[in-house]
This record gives sequence, structure tokens and C-alpha cells, in this order.
Amino acid sequence: MTALKLKNLVKRYGDFTAVSDLSLEVPTGSIYGFLGPNGAGKTTTIRMILDIVKPSSGDITILGADSAMDVRNRIGYLPEEKGLYKKMKAWAIIAYFARLKGMPSSEAKTRAFELLERYGLGDFANAKVETLSKGMGQKVQVLASIAHRPDFVILDEPFSGLDPSNQQVMEQVISDLNKEGATIIFSTHVMSHAERICDRILLIASAKKVFDGTVQEAKDLLPPRVRVTGDFSAAQLIELPSVNDCNIDEDGMLNIDISSGCTPQQLMSECFDAQLTLESFEYRQPDLHDVFLHLVGEEAKVATLR
Amino acid sequence: MNNSFIIAGREYADNARTKGFWINLLMFPIILVASIKVPQLLEEKAIPTRDYILIDQSGELGDVVQLAVDRQYAAKVAEALSSYYMANAKGGVGNEIDLEKMPSGGLDGMMSDFLEQDPGALDSLMQPGAIDSAVAMMQFGLNDDAPEFVAPRRPFSKVDVPTGIISATELGTMDSGEIVSRLRPYLLGDKYLTTDENKLFAVIIIPQGAAAQVKRGGAAGMMQQLDEKDGVQFWAKNLADMSLSRAISSALNEHLRTNEYQRLGVDEEIVSQVKSTQMLFTSFDPSKDEGEEKVSMADTIRQFAPLGFVYMMWIAIFTVVNMLLNNTIEEKSNRIIEVLLSSATPWEIMSGKLIGIAGVGMTMMVGWVLSMIGVLMYMAGPQVEWAATLLEVISNSGLLPLFGLYYLCGYLIYSGLFLAIGSLCSTIKESQNFMGTATVILMVPLMTMVFVARDPNGTLAQVLTWIPLYTPFVMMNRAAADPPAFDMWGSAILMLVTIVTMLWVSSRIFRIGILRTGQPPKLVELFKSLTQSLKNQ
Repeated sequence: MTALKLKNLVKRYGDFTAVSDLSLEVPTGSIYGFLGPNGAGKTTTIRMILDIVKPSSGDITILGADSAMDVRNRIGYLPEEKGLYKKMKAWAIIAYFARLKGMPSSEAKTRAFELLERYGLGDFANAKVETLSKGMGQKVQVLASIAHRPDFVILDEPFSGLDPSNQQVMEQVISDLNKEGATIIFSTHVMSHAERICDRILLIASAKKVFDGTVQEAKDLLPPRVRVTGDFSAAQLIELPSVNDCNIDEDGMLNIDISSGCTPQQLMSECFDAQLTLESFEYRQPDLHDVFLHLVGEEAKVATLR
Repeated sequence: MNNSFIIAGREYADNARTKGFWINLLMFPIILVASIKVPQLLEEKAIPTRDYILIDQSGELGDVVQLAVDRQYAAKVAEALSSYYMANAKGGVGNEIDLEKMPSGGLDGMMSDFLEQDPGALDSLMQPGAIDSAVAMMQFGLNDDAPEFVAPRRPFSKVDVPTGIISATELGTMDSGEIVSRLRPYLLGDKYLTTDENKLFAVIIIPQGAAAQVKRGGAAGMMQQLDEKDGVQFWAKNLADMSLSRAISSALNEHLRTNEYQRLGVDEEIVSQVKSTQMLFTSFDPSKDEGEEKVSMADTIRQFAPLGFVYMMWIAIFTVVNMLLNNTIEEKSNRIIEVLLSSATPWEIMSGKLIGIAGVGMTMMVGWVLSMIGVLMYMAGPQVEWAATLLEVISNSGLLPLFGLYYLCGYLIYSGLFLAIGSLCSTIKESQNFMGTATVILMVPLMTMVFVARDPNGTLAQVLTWIPLYTPFVMMNRAAADPPAFDMWGSAILMLVTIVTMLWVSSRIFRIGILRTGQPPKLVELFKSLTQSLKNQ
């Protein structure tokens, strides 16, 4: 089942191309992370999905409809820049947006109080938004965007501006929604969140899709990394057959790029054979952060990946 | 459409909850009460009885001056007596005021006409005990609980020269310059007349031979060489209160002319008869039924009522469209608009706002009218009876439905304009740039209001009628003057077309502008994106 399908999506503003030839399929019930540097085209893509901005060309199918407007009561949206009516009470604002999404008035009110209670804002239900802290206000807005029990939730930078404990609450909200069966897209540039929560990720840079797949697939793009310290130089290491390349990083450790087909065990035994004394040996899978820098940081590699 | 009403409800609640809205609502009756009460209070309390010194060296004109001051007071007493009677009469005399019958000049006009013809008419009131007997005569017609009549204070009171300044013997012959220099500290307020700190308001000096200082008209007058110091002198620091100097100078002229008639051998009796003759002059209105063509007070009110409506409409529209502007900018700068756009179509958002804010405007006007009625009922009295009759005349004139209609049209035109401005600006500050131009455009109906009312079917009125931005105001203004059917319907059609176009264009601009950030677009840019969005349709 596909909840969202983008086909050759393009958005141009005059001479500027904000999104270029983007195709994507988001399976129902998945959590999809939109990653990319600032200005890559994430927000524009999201606005096009929501039919707030019309694409220059390309097709969008969301929850079986051609336009998000037709199914807008099943969609929840949290925009990147957060803001609320300052003079309204927390519960009223949640109920207001739920009503706009077709929820009956009385149900919307009950739901608002219930949500505020569940996510630790029960005491502030009757407080005006202007008296809330920024983080609390943001939580209220998140709740406002999901109060109508949407099937499809789009969260643009939901973690920005939240302290670590509230970030955890946000992660909780996302996983709760997912458990209830909602499909979730969220954009971020904090890789650790994406790594923890996402089933699949889309990586955009300079308006173009750079990567689309599961987190594991993304990690597999990079070879495992080995970092060592010891009584030897980089030049000595490069002579070993399983070492493709080696350089010193900012911590003074030697970063080793293992030759294809070789394993860390092989490298370790070669070191042993060459009588190089290892003081530390670190072997880890690359994380999304590495993948991100690898894909976005270097233009040449981006080109080959396409 | 359901979303429009949800949005309208929120807009309404949000604006109706603001302090400004309530202040606006409450200020109206407060100002209304104040504008009735404050002048009354000032009259009674603030202005003290003013003291003047009269030095008559001519031995002739002093009595004339004194009589003038007394007559002025008598007129004031007469006025007080009549409003006392009107306020306390059995059954309320106010109800008997029939504006349809009253001449268009009103009560004041009647009074001043009367006194001009016969300055001595009120002299009997100056007799001792005359006021009491006048009150006693009224008594049987008054309510039982009528308060006692309190005679107004004298506005001016004659005092003697302070002792020790000028002796009685010197007074008759002293040079006027010398008199003034001795009294100057009193006139300037440096010294007080009595212990109760009464300042000297004025000194009137009538030098010997002042009666001969007569300015003549005609060729003889041109050759005259008169010295102002030889004539009657009025010395006062306060130049604003001219009632005393006016009363004195007109009484002196009156006296002089009577003397001149005598000198020329004209019978005074005949003169006064001649002076009180009048031509029969009546204003008629050709549009009224036969036998009722005489222009009454009610007609005058009907003629000028549109002016009041135009003013009220102007204030209501611009208070309300400013709310709309601020609201839109708030949503834009908060980026709430994005969430709204994901929940409702731009058209729903726009119409919701229009409906909600129109409701706020309606509430405001209903509040004004209710508070006005409340104030009128709370404050009994002659002015109030007047105002009530006035309201009745207005509500019977058929102008109210027109007012409602033109208000709605005006609101829609300007809200479209302001909504478009609001959606193009991201801060209030930015919108100020547009507002400058907008304000100039907006001021036109207010500035031309009086001229249009004076000549409702004239060129200015006709030209402005065909500018849709001004149609509601100008046509409201012309409503009482039976404008030609072509102007009325033609401009109405043009206005409706404009409203539809305006709302349509601003909904396009709203769509384009609402997600814009940063500087408002240039006009060319705006036009381009408008045509662009048309092509995409």
C-alpha cells in the first residue's frame, strides 16, 4: 500500500529551481524522514504535497487523491515555522484546528484536554498561548496538528527549538501516532532522530533527490570505518594489503579505509603480523551523520550516486 | 463552507475579546454623555461671575451700558426658565415638540429673532421679584416633584474702583490713560479686587464727550479724524470672551441711533414699528405634498442625517478593516496561515475572515445605537427629548436600510483592498507604506462629505458617485436628495461589479501573497504573478 506517491515533481520559481524531478513512494504506516541541508527543497516539497503550493510539473497522489485538499481532513501538518494565535487558550487552539479538520465541536474540546493531559500540559490547558514558553507552545502546535486523528502526518522540523526531554516527548508522539496506524513524514537535519525513528529516509540536496531507502541501506553506502591509535605512522598502515587509504583525523586518530572485500579481523591480524602495536582499535558501522556528510558534503560523489 | 463559519467564529471571538473593541464600544456613550454634560457643567461651575468696572465721565452713556449688561442676564434667565419648564412640565413638554411643524431655524433662531425685534422685551424680568412670580405662574403646570428653580448666576457684575486707587473726585476728570495705568495690576491679575481673589475682568471707560465721537457713513465718514482714546474704551486681558464687549457695543449703537432719529426729527415710535416689520419669507420643498410644502425642522434633519450616517459608516468601516489587516498580518508573521491553508481553501479562509470581521463591525454599531438609546433614556431633559425625536425622524426616513446596504458594500470593497495589502506584507511596519497611500484615498469621502451634502446632485457629487471606492459614501450622502435613478442604479451596478472583481483579485493576491516572506513585491512583480496564476488555472 502506498500512502503517498510523487512522480517527477518539479517546482520552479522564475529561474530558480526549488525541487527538481523528485519521485518517491511512501508506504502506508511507515515513518519517512526527509533529510537535507537548509534550502535543499524539503519545505517546498512538503508544501506541494499539501497542495499549498502548486508544482510546476509532475504528479502527486496522496491517500488515493490527486490533491491533499480533497483528503485534508485525514492529513495533519506541522509547519516549519511555528506560531499560534497569542490570545487563544491552549485547549481552544487545539480544538479550533481539529474542528477545521471536520471534528465536531464537543469532541474536539474533549480531545484537546485529553491530548494536553497525555503529553504533560494538563495544567496549562486554560493558559493563553502568549503565557506559554516557546517549547510548550510548540508542543501545543504539534498537538493541534494531530488532534483530528489524521491518517497521514507531515511534520516539518518537529524537533527544532525543543529541549532534550521535550524532544523525547516528540519522539513519543511520533511513535504513538505510528502505532495508531498513521503514515508519518518528518523533515529534520538532526540525524540522530532520523536514525532512531525512521523506517526510510529521503535525502535531498540542491533540489535533487540524493538517496531514498531504508536507514540500513543508507548506512551500507559507506564501508565500515576503523579508527586506530598506536606506535606507528599512516604511511606504515597504507602498506598493509587490507588498507585502501589512511589519514589522521582531528582527534589525532588514524582513520582507515578498508579495501573492498577485506574485514576488520583481517586488518587486525595484518597489524599483528607487521608487529605494529595497537593502543586502541575501534570498529563501527557508519551512522547517518557520516552518510549525510558523505552524500551531501562532496558534490562529486553526489553526481555518481544519481 | 462550514470551514468559513468556523474561521468567522474565531475571528469574531478573537476581535470581540480585545480591550480595544470594548474601549471603542464604551467610549461612544461616554463621549455622548460628556458632550451633553460637560458644557452644562462648565456653564454652571467653571466660569465665575466676572467683575467689571464702569467709569462714566460722560454722565450719559453709563446707564446704557448697565442696561445692556442687565438685558443680557435677563435673556439668560428667560432661557433657563423655559428649559426648566420644559424639563418639569406635566406630561413632558418635550413630547409636544413637533419637528414636522417647527420652522427650520429651530428654537434658538426663534429666540434671537424675537429679541432683535424688541430688545426691551425681557426688561420686565429685571424687576425685583419678577423671577419668583414667573416661577409661581408656571407652578400649576409643573410636576409635583419638580425641583426648585435656581436662577442662573450673573455672568458679569459691576464693581466699584478699589478704595485708595482713584478718589471719587478724581474719577470724573482723570485722563483715561492714567486710569488704566492705575488699574493695570488688577486687569493683569497681579492684584485682586476683594479677598476672595476675584480678578478684574474688564474696565469700561466712557470719557467726557464720548457721545460725540460718532463714526458716520458715506463720504463724510471718510474725512473724519477720530481718536480712539476719545471714544468708549473697553479694556480686558481676556480676548476670547467677547459677550460683554459685544453686548455693550450693540447697546451703545442702538442708543446712538435712537438719538440720531430724534435729532433728525424722526418719531421713535415709528422707527421701532418700522424695525419690527418683516417680509413674509418661507422655504418650500417642491417634492412634498400640497399643503405640506413648508420646510420644517424635520426636513432639515432628514437632509443632514445622511451626513451623520456617512461619518458613522466611515469610522465603522475603517476600524473594522484595520482589524482585518492586523489579523492577516499576524497570521502571516506567525505562519499560522500555513496550517490554515492545509485545512481550508484560501477562499474559505478569506470569506471566513470577511464574515467574522463584518460581524464585529455590526456588533460595534448595534452597541453604539443601544448605548445611545440607553444614554437618552437615562438622561432626561430637553436636549434628550430632542435627540429622541431626532432618532424617530431618522428611523422613519427610510435611510436606515440604505445605510445597512451601503455599509455592507463599502465594507466589502475596502476589506478586499486591505486583505490584499495584509497578505502582501509580513509586518505591520511594512503595511504602513501601503497605508500612507490608502489613507489619502480614504480621506476623500470624509473631506468632500460636507460639500456633497450641500449640493447633493452637483458635479462633485456626480463625479465621486462613479468612483466605486467612494460610491457607498457619496450615495449615502445623496440618499435624501432623491438622486436620479441612473446615478443610483448605475453606480450600484458598477459598485457590485467592482466588489466582485475586488474580492476575486484579492483572493488571487491572497493566495500568492500569503506564503510570501520578506519584502512586499513590486507592482510589476505582482502583476506578473497574477497573470501567471491565471494561466495556471
